[in-house]
Amino acid sequence: MEEILKVTDLTRVYGKGGAVTRALDGVSLTLEAGEFTGVMGPSGSGKTTLLNCVSSIDRPNSGSILIDGQELTRLRGRELARFRRERLGFIFQDCNLLDTLTAFENIALSLSIVKAPARSIDKRVRDMAERLGIQDCLNKYPYQMSGGQQQRCAAARAMVTHPALVLADEPTGALDSKSAGMLLDRLESLNREMGATILMVTHDAFTASCCHRVVFLRDGKIFLELRREDRSRKAFFQEIIRVVSGMGGEMADVL
Amino acid sequence: MFCKLALRNVRRSFRDYGVYLLTLTFGVCLFYTFNSIEGQGALRYLAKVGNPIVNAIMLLIDIFSVVVAVVLACLILYANRFLLRRRKRELGTYLLLGLSQSQVSRLLFLETGLIGLISLAAGLLLGVLASLGLSALTLSMFEIDLSGMLAITFSPKAAGKTVLYFGLIFLLVMVFSGVQVSRSKLIDLIHGERKNEVLKPRPLLFAVLQLLLGVICLAAAYAILLCFGMALAVAILPLCAAMLSLGTVGTLLVFRSLSGFVMKFAQNHPRFYYSNLNMFTLRQWLSKVHTTYLAQTVVCILLLLAIGITASSIGLNNTLSTMTDQEAPFDITVQNRSADHSGPIDFPARLKKSGFEPETLLSAQLDFSARYNDPAITGIADISSVLALSDFNAICQLQGKAPIELPSGGYLMLDTWGDGLVTGSLGLSAAVVEDEVAQQLDVRRQYWSANYAGDRQRTEEQLLPILETLQSEAQLRVDSRLSIYADMMGNKILALFLGLYLGFTFLLAAAAVLALQQLSQAADNTRRYAILRRLGAEETLISRSAAQQVALAFLLPLGLALIHSAVGMKAANDVIAYAGKVDSVQSSLVTALVLLIVYGGYFLATALACGRMARNA
Repeated sequence: MEEILKVTDLTRVYGKGGAVTRALDGVSLTLEAGEFTGVMGPSGSGKTTLLNCVSSIDRPNSGSILIDGQELTRLRGRELARFRRERLGFIFQDCNLLDTLTAFENIALSLSIVKAPARSIDKRVRDMAERLGIQDCLNKYPYQMSGGQQQRCAAARAMVTHPALVLADEPTGALDSKSAGMLLDRLESLNREMGATILMVTHDAFTASCCHRVVFLRDGKIFLELRREDRSRKAFFQEIIRVVSGMGGEMADVL
Repeated sequence: MFCKLALRNVRRSFRDYGVYLLTLTFGVCLFYTFNSIEGQGALRYLAKVGNPIVNAIMLLIDIFSVVVAVVLACLILYANRFLLRRRKRELGTYLLLGLSQSQVSRLLFLETGLIGLISLAAGLLLGVLASLGLSALTLSMFEIDLSGMLAITFSPKAAGKTVLYFGLIFLLVMVFSGVQVSRSKLIDLIHGERKNEVLKPRPLLFAVLQLLLGVICLAAAYAILLCFGMALAVAILPLCAAMLSLGTVGTLLVFRSLSGFVMKFAQNHPRFYYSNLNMFTLRQWLSKVHTTYLAQTVVCILLLLAIGITASSIGLNNTLSTMTDQEAPFDITVQNRSADHSGPIDFPARLKKSGFEPETLLSAQLDFSARYNDPAITGIADISSVLALSDFNAICQLQGKAPIELPSGGYLMLDTWGDGLVTGSLGLSAAVVEDEVAQQLDVRRQYWSANYAGDRQRTEEQLLPILETLQSEAQLRVDSRLSIYADMMGNKILALFLGLYLGFTFLLAAAAVLALQQLSQAADNTRRYAILRRLGAEETLISRSAAQQVALAFLLPLGLALIHSAVGMKAANDVIAYAGKVDSVQSSLVTALVLLIVYGGYFLATALACGRMARNA
């Protein structure tokens, strides 16, 4: 399988002199095309730092990030913005839709930004909205939609440009369990049908259980990696729970 | 503790709300500058030559100052409301931390007081410089060299007045913010982030109809103004009311519907709509329409007032200055109005007797009479006096004009009051007839005109007292070029001062309102820009979108105001043209320049600040 993301020996250090925090301490990770990978770990384990580095919002101190064969740490300014909009898609916890734009326009905006041909935009947006089950609220403003609809709209915005890698930061964090279930359902089917590669950071074991594999971070290092293989989601969920309770501390509180 | 917190907040507001402080400072500066004109060179000169217009100018400035103070008070209250709204969360935090509402009110009191003090001091300092500039400008309008009158002056009276008026305004602001804080609920303060207004998507037809109605209203208002002319349209109340309300409603409708119209139009052109960030920019514009269309209408009207007043006052000014030369062809003209019964006076001889040397002090003299018209002899009806041809040609020669010839038995009718023949006017309707005819008629009035040889000012000062003594034996009327000139200059300065004063005030108000509104919106927008950046939008596109939003807000009202004022100026020109020809090209240019400096300055400052906010988002 083709490697979409290859992170090698990534280190990110905050602070100077005596008060240094090693948020990432030599993390290596490889994602293959079409993989749906979860990252778990207690607060301060470096999940968000990893995601920020991969999404080029933050810069690592050392190590390399290869996305689709392109070395991310060497890109600067315009090239970086270009890479970000063409190769990456983002889903945030607080879905970050623009409140002045309708759902349709929010999705269309990311196509505008990648300078997609104007003729194709309408069809592509409707297509993606249908896949995420939000075709009925395309003309609504974000504040007229439910949290779940907003988050699926954000997912549509992230996916509509067909990015090489979709980065999701706690996408179910602000949702009730029903909406969260629906969003994960749709993400899974997008992953299955379109072969989208997804890297998702989460706190929640249930959310993580729909991934192909889950990477556990602790103190900036990869602590354990679980693969779903052919198990049922429930069995995978049980195993994740076992690991989480084994990790102890804050992570166990999540249960 | 409070003082420290207040000081810190003020220091922070320097950075965040520069436009607010700038406006306060400009307001103080404007107020001081125009209230201190008493001490300025031009007015001191006019007072020295005993021109009564000085009192009129001072009185009018006093009255207008009240108007200006009211406008500035509204502006400052408005600005303050904006700042308070922006600081809701901060104030909520104070309350959450356990400060009582009266303590928070006291904090705001202190802050307002501090800001007031700073802007007063800075404004007065700037005002001293600005009044020097205004003084130099007005002195340069005199044809006589008066540069000696130029000096840096500080007027304690004007400063006192400024402090009093602005003290009252700041007191009002303090009370207002205190009330605002004590009436607000903590939950609203904490969740003070403004929610987006609810947008009801309206069909395209609705926006089109609104825009159409607005354009029709404007066209009707223009038609009233142009058909009836400014004099009638302003004087007749029903016409005036209809014109103003149609104009205002039209402006309102245009601003309200324009964005929706453009939006729908753009949506039908996907190639434009989906390119770059046009969709985002248009949506931003549309989303603010319901909060901004009122303000934009007000701004448009303020701009119209500013443009109209400034242009008219400068136009009137040029008109007045061309009138001086026509009215005063000689340095002095003395009319002996009792020449018909007490006989003509031999002016050179009488002057010489009183110690005035006509040969050395005067470069030219001319003595002639106007005679009673007898239709039986002249054959001209409806005229009260006649001049002899030789006298008239002597006047022409002295004025450098070509002499005229009359056919035998012919005559020449003069303009209504014989303007331009002597300084002042003949005061009679007159015709020029042949000398032989004139000699048969009785003398009615004697006119003695002269030009000074040396220093005009000094010569006139010697001459006038002597003429004064002659008043006892004849009824004399004295018109000198210098006195007419001083009158003219008085009118000129009155028009200029009042026009600039009001024009600047309105311009300042308009620009500041827009700037504050835009800055406040830009702060709301930072979150949106952050999202755009995360989506990978290029920096240049984001900055451009921010600049476009500011430009839309500033240029739309300006555009409509320019159209309004073009129509208004056309009508006003017809009125001023009665008094003389207005050099409208020049006055338009000067207006444009003034407008460009103040409005453009605010626009630039706002665009830069908004761009900075977008970049740091």
